[in-house]
Amino acid sequence: MTTVRLKSLLAVALCGALAVTGCGSGAGSSSRDQVKLLVFGAPEELAAYRTLIDAYEAARPGYRVQLIEASDRKDLLARLATSVAGGAPPDVFLMNYRFYGQFAAKGVVEPLDERIAASAAVDPADYYPVAMDAFKWRDQQLCLPQNVSSLAVYYNRTLFAKYGVPEPRPGWTWNDLVGTAIAMTRDNRGVVIKGTEAEGAARLPAVHGLGVEPSIIRLAPLVWSNGGEIVDDPDRPTRLVLDSPAAREALKNLVDLRLAYGVVPSDAEVEAEDDESRFVNGRLAMLMTSRRATTNFRTITGFDWDVAPLPVYRRPVGVLHSDAYCMTGGSRNKDAAWRFMEYAMSADGQKIIAATGRTVPSHVETSRSPAFLDPNLPPRNSRVFLDAIPTVRALPTVSTWPEIEDLSYGILENAVHRGDRLDDVIRELDTKSRPVFARGENG
Amino acid sequence: MSAGSGTGPRAPATGVGRAARPDARSRRQLALMLAPYLVGLVGLVLLPALVTLALAFTHYDLVRPPAWAGFDNVTALVEDPIFRIALTNTLVFAVVAVPLRMLLALGLALLLHRRAPGAGTARAAALLPTAVPEIAYGLLWLWLLNPLYGPVNQVLRVGGENGLTALGRTPPQWLTDPTDARAAIILMSLFTMGETFVVLLAARRALPRDVYEMAAVEDATGWDVFRRITLPLMAPVLALLAVRDAIASLHFTFVPAFVVTDGGPPPYATTYLSLFVYQTGFEYLRYGYAAAATLVMMVLTLAAVLVQWRLIRRYRRFYPR
Repeated sequence: MTTVRLKSLLAVALCGALAVTGCGSGAGSSSRDQVKLLVFGAPEELAAYRTLIDAYEAARPGYRVQLIEASDRKDLLARLATSVAGGAPPDVFLMNYRFYGQFAAKGVVEPLDERIAASAAVDPADYYPVAMDAFKWRDQQLCLPQNVSSLAVYYNRTLFAKYGVPEPRPGWTWNDLVGTAIAMTRDNRGVVIKGTEAEGAARLPAVHGLGVEPSIIRLAPLVWSNGGEIVDDPDRPTRLVLDSPAAREALKNLVDLRLAYGVVPSDAEVEAEDDESRFVNGRLAMLMTSRRATTNFRTITGFDWDVAPLPVYRRPVGVLHSDAYCMTGGSRNKDAAWRFMEYAMSADGQKIIAATGRTVPSHVETSRSPAFLDPNLPPRNSRVFLDAIPTVRALPTVSTWPEIEDLSYGILENAVHRGDRLDDVIRELDTKSRPVFARGENG
Repeated sequence: MSAGSGTGPRAPATGVGRAARPDARSRRQLALMLAPYLVGLVGLVLLPALVTLALAFTHYDLVRPPAWAGFDNVTALVEDPIFRIALTNTLVFAVVAVPLRMLLALGLALLLHRRAPGAGTARAAALLPTAVPEIAYGLLWLWLLNPLYGPVNQVLRVGGENGLTALGRTPPQWLTDPTDARAAIILMSLFTMGETFVVLLAARRALPRDVYEMAAVEDATGWDVFRRITLPLMAPVLALLAVRDAIASLHFTFVPAFVVTDGGPPPYATTYLSLFVYQTGFEYLRYGYAAAATLVMMVLTLAAVLVQWRLIRRYRRFYPR
């Protein structure tokens, strides 16, 4: 009997241990003042967050921040949703304005207006208004923007010099971009070739003129620049409207980059080597992307590179790329979370993150300082991002926007790489996005 | 049925007394040993499954409290083109991949059950892919199937010119062509049939030798031996494994589709129910809707089991014991 009791006790103890370890948060600490910060990013970005946390903890002895690293954006969304549902959300998370709507609509994000009004460290006037406005939901400031990037054209200066092609200049047009991309698409002997001929049996280009992903965030500034719109009502969108002549022209021109001119890599080539790696490996002359790529590009040692503004149709327009620190409504440590947010948004905090090269600081003064415009660090022409800020527009923040982006990406990808008829593409974008917009909630 | 239990009414009284004590004790011990598993099964599988089933009839976004929705989610699923594609992809995968996996595992088991030089190494090689962690396995295939630089297409291009195969055709576009991508997912699943292979190997080695010796005496051909002896004797194990594989096939597409193809190429060529449920529930925060899709997966599982059960019963009529 004693043996049985002993075994029973052992089994109960084991079950108890399993339950305790299984239900634990894994945080490793239950300090009241410890703030949990949920982010995702490249190793260099994560290293910068660790530096930021170290600097904060040194400046505020006794306060602790735990960094929770998600592998990518989708992982971050899933972690945030499940942790909120489980009643143990992070105190602060970093999120792009295009994806925060679904959490803002559900009351996950804590409004910050009262804290901002009472703060001696955060003054909204110190930040770019376009970024601050992107994180307002029903007239409440929900998050504080960490950065204010936009789309630009990175280019390989060494390749341009090698082939004697003029570098992109501010004010260049879409036709200039196409002409430049054609002139830069070369085979391995350096002869200009048409990439469309590379399908199947013919030679593949050794260098492609341009890399641009067929997404709504890449298409939007081109449509706006041409005088069109991508949604019927930017504040309360109900459908994608690419059927206007201006939007249709911009879409056709994007599709023609692959189908008519062959200056962008085919889908198989993109799957084999994504555009960013292709640029880093010297096989892409130009890449249309946001400031985010800079961190990776700073590892380039084999050639010189720089950045140019987006080409213009009728007027210069950019698209806002911005991430912000948001506080969860369910945080058990709001005061400590706010203290960390104040530090991260200060000039000191923004300089640490800006040093990675990944962000254009939302803090006006910091963005104009050497922390961002350091002439010794590429790109030399970082000012392009600052010059674009007055022209940038934000995409809708409707709560179902992530679904809109995902479904439109597939349709646009087939338009660019499979050659789907433009009328069908535009109709499909409209009909498929309508029910998703209808389910959405607007700020 | 319980011939060895010794607890029948005709047993001597002393025997009953002696037998009852160890039985009660061993039952308690068994119950104790089973308890952690049962606690886990109930707490981590059955209860969440029941809650998920209940949530299928609600509007729930993981954040706000669930609101009763009746059959709204099920109706919406029927009208959802992406769900219909995911359902079709899942069924096609199960119909194609499960028989192929079973055939491959059976073929290898029959080939490698004898002692022969290199047989042990071959058995280990057949089992090895199953031991690789799923994410690592997916990333490995992402490299293998790289359209331009991947070894698979490099091999297929041997003997060809200008990037074509020796037959003058373009190699499969594993990650960009819908049909090729579906084939790639099936191909990936074939190499993880290690567990099925091991069970069939054990089953084959357990078959009585004298039956085969008698067949040899009667000059039976290899095909006859397989059809008349091996297959009928292994049928119960094969049936059990087929049911298990059919159930597993509903979810083991998740990692390949998530890591290798990301549900594409468009439009949703490799979006299976498991990926649909994950994206809908955790990326778009439509948990109630995702729960309804999970309900459909469970119904499909039940249907697959019932169909196979009927087939097995019909098969047994031909080969009565």
